[in-house]
Amino acid sequence: MTSPTLTRRGLLRGAGTASVLASCAKPTHDDASTAPAITDATAPAEIGPEAAALRFTLNGKAATLQVEPRVTLLDALRIDAGVTGPKLVCDRGACGACTVLVDGRPRNACMMLAHDVAGANVTTVEGLGQDGGMSALQAAFVRHDALQCGFCTSGMLTSCAALLQRVGAAAPQLTAARVNEAIAGNLCRCGTYPHVVAAVLEVAGAKAPAGASSAGNPRGVG
Amino acid sequence: MPRTKLTLGFADQLTEVDIDVPAGEPRPWDADSRLAVVGTEVARIDGEQKVTGRATYTFDVALPGMLYAAVLRCPLACARITKLSVDGAEKAPGVRAVMTLAEVGDRLLFAGQDIAAVAALRPELARDALAAIAIEYEALPFVVDARMAAEPGAPAVHDGAVKQRKTEGDEPGASGSAKAQGNVRALPDSRRGDAALALTKAAVVHEASYSTQVQTHSALETHGIVVRWDAEDKLTAWCSTQGIFSVRDELAEVFELSPANVEVITEYLGGGFGAKFGASAPGTRLGFIAATLARTAALPVKLMCDRHEEHVCTGNRPDSHQDVRLGADASGKLVALHVRSIGTAGIGTGAGIGRNAFSVYTKIPHVLVESADVFTNAGPGTAMRAPGHPQGAFALELAIDELARKAKIDALQVRIDHDEHPVRRWQFEQGATRFGWAQARARSAAARAKGTRMRTGVGVAASIWGDFGRPGVTVTATIGRDGSVQIRNGVQDIGTGIGTVMAQVAAEVLGLEPGSIDVEIGRASYGPSVGSGGSTTTASVTPAVRNAAEQCRTQLTEVAADQLGVATSAVFWGPGGSVSGGGKTLTFAQLCKKMPGEAIVGTGTRAKTFGAHPMAFSGQPMQQIAGVQFAQVTIDTWTGTVRVDRVLAMHDCGRVMNALTCRSQINGGIILGTSYALLEERVLDRDFGRMLNPNLENYKIAGALDIPTIDVVMTDVHAGNNSTGAIGIGEPATVPTAAAIACAVHDAIGVPVRSLPITPAKILAALGLVPGATGGSVRAGGPT
Repeated sequence: MTSPTLTRRGLLRGAGTASVLASCAKPTHDDASTAPAITDATAPAEIGPEAAALRFTLNGKAATLQVEPRVTLLDALRIDAGVTGPKLVCDRGACGACTVLVDGRPRNACMMLAHDVAGANVTTVEGLGQDGGMSALQAAFVRHDALQCGFCTSGMLTSCAALLQRVGAAAPQLTAARVNEAIAGNLCRCGTYPHVVAAVLEVAGAKAPAGASSAGNPRGVG
Repeated sequence: MPRTKLTLGFADQLTEVDIDVPAGEPRPWDADSRLAVVGTEVARIDGEQKVTGRATYTFDVALPGMLYAAVLRCPLACARITKLSVDGAEKAPGVRAVMTLAEVGDRLLFAGQDIAAVAALRPELARDALAAIAIEYEALPFVVDARMAAEPGAPAVHDGAVKQRKTEGDEPGASGSAKAQGNVRALPDSRRGDAALALTKAAVVHEASYSTQVQTHSALETHGIVVRWDAEDKLTAWCSTQGIFSVRDELAEVFELSPANVEVITEYLGGGFGAKFGASAPGTRLGFIAATLARTAALPVKLMCDRHEEHVCTGNRPDSHQDVRLGADASGKLVALHVRSIGTAGIGTGAGIGRNAFSVYTKIPHVLVESADVFTNAGPGTAMRAPGHPQGAFALELAIDELARKAKIDALQVRIDHDEHPVRRWQFEQGATRFGWAQARARSAAARAKGTRMRTGVGVAASIWGDFGRPGVTVTATIGRDGSVQIRNGVQDIGTGIGTVMAQVAAEVLGLEPGSIDVEIGRASYGPSVGSGGSTTTASVTPAVRNAAEQCRTQLTEVAADQLGVATSAVFWGPGGSVSGGGKTLTFAQLCKKMPGEAIVGTGTRAKTFGAHPMAFSGQPMQQIAGVQFAQVTIDTWTGTVRVDRVLAMHDCGRVMNALTCRSQINGGIILGTSYALLEERVLDRDFGRMLNPNLENYKIAGALDIPTIDVVMTDVHAGNNSTGAIGIGEPATVPTAAAIACAVHDAIGVPVRSLPITPAKILAALGLVPGATGGSVRAGGPT
């Protein structure tokens, strides 16, 4: 039950059954069977325990970091690359706040080792925008107030961006149920889910269900 | 104090009321005020920062040379340290500072207590160094269950007297201590009439025990702080806090610094929910540790809790075990209510059950509410979103429904009949129609009679809170010669969007767009403000913003009068901040260019609350905030699963400041309440005294698939309370949710589940399908 996409799983030996059993990928109905394995072409056969070079593409730009093999992708992004959009919340793949796209697929960066993305394309929330501005999805998040404290927002957006990418031209057929399923692994403590759904459906050009937003409700003013 | 006639009230119940408005205050906005920006849906001004990942939270702060700290914590529920050496940690790779927080001989009171701390070049090196600390313990007797701890002969948690910890998250006025016996420390009673006597005369009496679980705040950003010493007697702290000034004052006191030499910065905050006041968390001295290590290492130090630490030592909502007796006379009128509750806030205090039993259904003539803290060997509780109230609402509202069934009286009508608050009565009535209450009740009764597998039920419950907005806020408004407008105050944004609301209020006064206002918040040096607790922020800060902006407007009016050659009374403010008079018009930019100096500055403060229409809060000079929520659940009686289908939330929102962010807050209260009702529970192992689910996969919080469809109706209530009419909504919105859900469960299956969270196991036990009790004796972990 170890994830087949982990190529350096030997590093996880002795790390405890629980963390090995927990899947690194966020399972969804759309991508389970078709996902390509992450290859490790640029890494040497044996690395560590000291820091070793890691080359990958981060938000469209080539990046090289010196990281120890035990460092998670999340720590490497946040501490070594200074990309702090992805957040550490649960540290075990339960909350989705660290979600990044690895070769287009949403992954929990806290559950991957940094060296697992050697040669891969990593996109964080910082890379979702266009031409230095917000993407349509990001702008819709702001418009619908799909965020409160904002700490889950990076992961939430990344999951939603991946959903929109997966459904492609079928976006107008998106339903609230599909969006809820796509963000089921993204926990929010402030309670932004209804507004997240409204934002995604708007960008998808899909119909918002009754109750996704109560805008226009009576205010009880005489 | 000038008396001012204001139009106050709500819906069609508006009336003219004379209010004493302190001198210097503008005429308060009332029901007749037609505002252009305030009350509309305005997207938050810092939204782009948050959706692009550029917002800098404390967790994201990275300073040159910054070290990462980690804390060694007690692994046992109660223990004496017999050996402690940090030599190994001092020699560990990358370590720059080590400190101890306990010594040999100390008795440690809970699993998670501070023992020692290190600061190292990287987080993993700090954790490695903790493993090099040599420590041995003598395990001591402990108790982690509230009811066991209350028994005579239970291990004593504390050796001596306990000091009550109060924060701005606690409900103002709700405090005090009484006598202590063993681990039990009584809280003050609330009493009217003679409940015991009245119960002996009641025609129908319902008596049952209700229990609620310990809930942890589980803010996504854990508690944390970064400290940098700028000089021997001066420091800067970046802190994940909902009370910037509480952090400043604690650091100033502990390190004997002038408060002016302590800068505290909270640019963005990843949630708090009541647990983030002060430089220390309730069960760990984070600020002291980070600042001490930083001083030793002469480098900045960052200390963030991990998720396990966040669960066990940064606070929680205490549990409750409530014995309720409720009596009605032969006509179905409620005559007496007696609630006796114990609960545990671990080694701390604050396990009360809120105002619900005493202050919602005030037509019950005889009421006695007794409660007590019971100390246990667990991390301290602290204020959590409406402290005590969801617990109290759950037992009260479910007991009312149970009595109503027994006495064959209508569950909604009995509430309306015993509630004196006109807003809540209106909300009950309007909500029933909007929700389809009568039809839904008939449907659930029919399904119960048929014994169908899937059952739907509906319930309703009341919210009570107070308008605790208060003075102590100073806002500075600065209008530059270039037409720029800056609003500055040291308040933090916990996630409600206070900065956006501040921009709206200033924009309203000056006739500008909110996007053109530059709001600077999140620093102690920006001026005195309140903590984000007690639902006070909006009600405390917005009046000061308005007053500061009004001062600027007055000064600009004088400039305009000069320029236009008319009296100030003949200057008219138009759209876009333009002014006209004497047949001439100046744009806002033209007007600002004419100001005599570089800038016009207005300083606004927040006056004492001056009105409480239509109903005050338990005899105090502040408005009682009303709300009701209706919930519908569907239950699979074969599997016991409960789904909350929909919630209708009717809430007194004072004057709504921002309809968009207000709705977000109400959604959040309902989602938190749903999570509390069905999913969350801190589970402590009774044999080892450790938390068994200190994570987010076994400590369940509601995800997108677990939540109801939410229908929010904001009731604008004009109380004449302050210059903007704002109140708080964060806490009222979560008070009744779990109670309404529990009542809906009762309606669906015809038997009550008297213990939160309402799990499938408890549903099946209530239905008699699996062994187990359904009352207060159901304990954590499932049926006994």
